[in-house]
Amino acid sequence: MPGDAEGRRERFIKHLKPLQGALESYCRRGVRRSSDADDILQNAVLKAFRDFDRYSEGTNFKAWIFKYLNLEILAGNRLLSRVMVGHLIPFDSLPMPAAADAACDMGSREMVDVPELVLDRCESELAGAIRDLSDAERSSLLLHAIGDFKYREIAEILEMPIGTVMSHLSRARRQLRERLSEWAQTQKRGAKRKPDSA
Amino acid sequence: MNCKRTRQLWELYRDSEGDAQLYLQVNEHLTGCPECTRWFDRQQSFEVDLAEKLREGTRNEELWAGIEAQLPATPRLISRRSTLILPLLGVAAAILVLVAAWQYMPAAEGNSELAERVSGCHERLVAGQEQLQFASRSDLEVEAYLKKRVAFPVRCPPRQDAGFEVRGGGVCSVGNSPVAYVHGLVGMNKVSVFILPLERLGEFSRDRDALQRAEIVHSRHGELETVLSAIDRNIVVVVGQESPKRLERVVRAYGTYPHTLPHDAT
Repeated sequence: MPGDAEGRRERFIKHLKPLQGALESYCRRGVRRSSDADDILQNAVLKAFRDFDRYSEGTNFKAWIFKYLNLEILAGNRLLSRVMVGHLIPFDSLPMPAAADAACDMGSREMVDVPELVLDRCESELAGAIRDLSDAERSSLLLHAIGDFKYREIAEILEMPIGTVMSHLSRARRQLRERLSEWAQTQKRGAKRKPDSA
Repeated sequence: MNCKRTRQLWELYRDSEGDAQLYLQVNEHLTGCPECTRWFDRQQSFEVDLAEKLREGTRNEELWAGIEAQLPATPRLISRRSTLILPLLGVAAAILVLVAAWQYMPAAEGNSELAERVSGCHERLVAGQEQLQFASRSDLEVEAYLKKRVAFPVRCPPRQDAGFEVRGGGVCSVGNSPVAYVHGLVGMNKVSVFILPLERLGEFSRDRDALQRAEIVHSRHGELETVLSAIDRNIVVVVGQESPKRLERVVRAYGTYPHTLPHDAT
């Protein structure tokens, strides 16, 4: 009936509206080729709307729709790359927290002292660092940072154990810090050399 | 707990994913270790800036209008590129943008009655004229406390990763009815989150009308910025001397799980 269809649409949009900014940011940061972002986002939302009858009112719509978007991003990225998906990496090979902690402590000190200065100038490096993460690491990091999801929700969205999510998130954080720290140090060295060469 | 062990736990602590025991132990260590406190602050600062950087960018209204325009049609998925060549849809999208801009403004400015009423309570808490009824740095403990104190639904406080560090909670009253509050810090500034049952929105007609027009309503009362929103079965007001953007992030982070799910710490 047209009335029902309209009501369904209205309910869907009401749920969707507050999440649009986060969905868009997540999509733009998650896709490997930025020109694909709009198509991927659109397809994910349309698929979610198609399946909206399967969503039960009162449960976590945000996690529900992010799952669609994540699947769509993974499918889009796989077309571009033959890189193995992150969750196929044996869990045992992931670094233990202590190792991650030590690396974080040593490598990122300068960057962590003035993060806003570094982050303001490193858009392309940041985009590259995120692109180079495995799919599961990237998804865990972005779902946490952009979607504000708890570990348990990320585990539901990515369909993996919560411990694996924690490992992926920890590893993604460490890799990002190391990469930005290296970039900051290179910039610093470059800045020191300039006066001499002039 | 030593420094090495404490630092190994910073992610769980910072992401509000640990249990009460973890918070107690880490807080105990931090109280006596200024070096670790500085280290935690630096990590926190990086995470907050990184999250802000990752979220950067304005919402593409045209894109969303185009997507929404396709919703009623359906079962067939259409590529955006192919739809853009249809001139009629372009016109429809432009009209929708105008309608959306008017009707669905994501945030609006107003003069919230409710925010004005609860601001007094926040000021008394900040001035120390009113004591926190329950002091804790664990959002789970504060949530459990509030659930025992009020009959209406209360969801978990905004988490640390949304920039809000909980310090405690309690119950005050507005119009002879109880209002739950969570008190904490955003950066260095004290911020309170007031929580009422959604049914009470009718008492504040101006706020009710404003929330029909916008999802988030900003207002200013003296030195205080306030952000009002209706979230699930609650009215939520965030009050503090902090930037509206940061307060909006806090209000959006209020409650993570629906009421039907258990809130066990993992």
